[in-house]
Amino acid sequence: MRVVIAEDSVLLREGLTRLLTDRGHEVVAGVGDAEALLKTITELHDEGALPDVVVADVRMPPTHTDEGVRAAVELRKEHPGLGVLVLSQYVEERYATELLAGSSRGVGYLLKDRVAEVREFVDAVVRVASGGTALDPEVVAQLLGRSRQQDVLAGLTPREREVLGLMAEGRTNSAVARQLVVSDGAVEKHVSNIFLKLGLSPSDGDHRRVLAVLTYLNS
Amino acid sequence: MATRYEHYEPYEPYESYGDGHDAEHEGPYGTYGSHGTYGTYGDHGGHGVRRRRLPAALCEPVSGRHWRELAYVLLGFPLSVTLFVFTVTMLSVGAGLLVTFLGIPVLAAGLAACRGFGALERARARGLLGLQVRDPEPLRVRGRDGRAGLLAWMGAVLKSGTSWRHALFVLVRFPWAVFSFCVTVTVWAFGWTMLTYPLWFWLFPMYGGQGGLQLYGDAHHQVYLDNPFEITVTASVGLLVTLATPWIVRALTTVDRLLVHGLLGPSRLASRVVELESDRGVVVDTAAADLRRIERDLHDGAQARLVALAMDLGLAKEKLREDPQAAARMVGEAHGEVKTALQELRDLARGIHPAVLTDRGLDAALSAVASRCTVPVRVEVDLGAARPVAAIEGIAYFTVSELLQNVSKHSGARAASVEVWRVDERLMVQVVDDGVGGAEVSGGSGLAGLAERLDAVDGVLVVDSPVGGPTRAVAELPWRA
Repeated sequence: MRVVIAEDSVLLREGLTRLLTDRGHEVVAGVGDAEALLKTITELHDEGALPDVVVADVRMPPTHTDEGVRAAVELRKEHPGLGVLVLSQYVEERYATELLAGSSRGVGYLLKDRVAEVREFVDAVVRVASGGTALDPEVVAQLLGRSRQQDVLAGLTPREREVLGLMAEGRTNSAVARQLVVSDGAVEKHVSNIFLKLGLSPSDGDHRRVLAVLTYLNS
Repeated sequence: MATRYEHYEPYEPYESYGDGHDAEHEGPYGTYGSHGTYGTYGDHGGHGVRRRRLPAALCEPVSGRHWRELAYVLLGFPLSVTLFVFTVTMLSVGAGLLVTFLGIPVLAAGLAACRGFGALERARARGLLGLQVRDPEPLRVRGRDGRAGLLAWMGAVLKSGTSWRHALFVLVRFPWAVFSFCVTVTVWAFGWTMLTYPLWFWLFPMYGGQGGLQLYGDAHHQVYLDNPFEITVTASVGLLVTLATPWIVRALTTVDRLLVHGLLGPSRLASRVVELESDRGVVVDTAAADLRRIERDLHDGAQARLVALAMDLGLAKEKLREDPQAAARMVGEAHGEVKTALQELRDLARGIHPAVLTDRGLDAALSAVASRCTVPVRVEVDLGAARPVAAIEGIAYFTVSELLQNVSKHSGARAASVEVWRVDERLMVQVVDDGVGGAEVSGGSGLAGLAERLDAVDGVLVVDSPVGGPTRAVAELPWRA
């Protein structure tokens, strides 16, 4: 997997590079701000060597506000095949909505704290690189809490809510099953129940499923 | 620098205080007043005056200013009569009708009209008298449900002191306007008529035995101003009166100025409220800016370090089995990160509010600040056992801390000194360095922020920093114990 990292703190950039290299991935470039990120990607694209995934910090120079999110949205528009994982000190449901606008293919939004769980973090990067979704549990919690469909959500059993949350984070059925220590079949049953209760048509692809869930929560 | 000049004067008394306070500082104090920028300041007035061929007093009767004042008085009479009649009618009708409900709307309408007249009078005073008078506080209508109904509006008009002051202005102004008008017309007409007497005395019918103006007359004697001497004297008297007219008119309009200023301007309380509102804005802004700064410092400093630390430890955990040596190295690095993070958190906390400032006061807290400056700093705090309130102490501490940071970063100084002392009810803080100078309290700089912060507590910051140095910053704060 080929990765480009955009992070203004040198300390974290080096750490991420080491972490990913250690796991056998290739870090093509490391940049310090959004402008350099866009330039690097354009150059790589022109050389025909587009990376699989970009890992970008939200707050970067010069204004230290939401440069990372804006760059990510732009990258997703211009290079639909490129995975973008946004890292941040805080997660905001609003940024997630902006990132997911249109498609949930190859997009991730995680708290920086998640890098501490090295294996899970690298899994998330790989998932995003291969077109999957990785949403931070906190974002999902915010989405569930903010959703205007509270009365329908209240009709879910606690276990179904748990499954819905994990599904929204972008996990596959088998990953959900592993997490909850149940069988794949049990998860499938929960998922179809959830879709039934929310009035959504069940779909097979994981990212389409996520999109359906997120659209529902946001509506 | 120039923008802060108005605050310069009050420092004069402290000059002498400073000399006695610390003889070592005679050098910087000596150059303080004689610095080029300030030296030239007083000369500006001299170049501005245009040369006149005639003495100013002789030109006064035909000067633009006199004509404007004359116009003000002449216009004032008909205007003031109209307004007076209207106001008295409205108010007395309104008061008379108060027994029925009708009185209130009539009274309110009358007062509202007075406010309108006030606006007209202010415009006239601004235009013709050049009076600087601000509009009074606007009417505050508080209706039910946020909607301003007619009843709420009437209530607001009747309750507002400004409305009644405007009505009072119309009533008081009337007799004065009549008096000024009579005096002005009489004096002005008399002056010019007498002055020009030599030009038109020939109009008198000489053949009828009347050779000029009659000064006195009864059945037996008639005195006419008809010989050259008398004509000259008459013209001279006319000249004197004409020359005096502008001053008489000015004296009359001075009363108008006072009336407009006192009754039509904003009340003193309202002016203070405006001032305090702006101060409060600054306080709120600086508080918000401080919060943003703290958040930034946390985000870029300790938080980032802790993330890196978590990452290192995560990697080490994974490596523990397969490569214990690499894991040990990573734990070692993580240990270093923790110590740096702790240091950063400590600095941040100290920057927000040092504990020693609360416990031991400015003297103790400033030694710590001075020790962190990159150049040697001599600290002298001469407050005895007295301590100002915590807020003032905090701002004084912050001021010194900011100024010393500037010394560290920009001045290139070899030495600096901090002095804190008290003059009556003011706390004085001075930071001097022997660096390159050129510091400015202009918009956007750190010093401008500091000046605003001091201003919010009625404090003042003056920076004297000629290019080439030395730089001297003096902050003055209210003592408040």
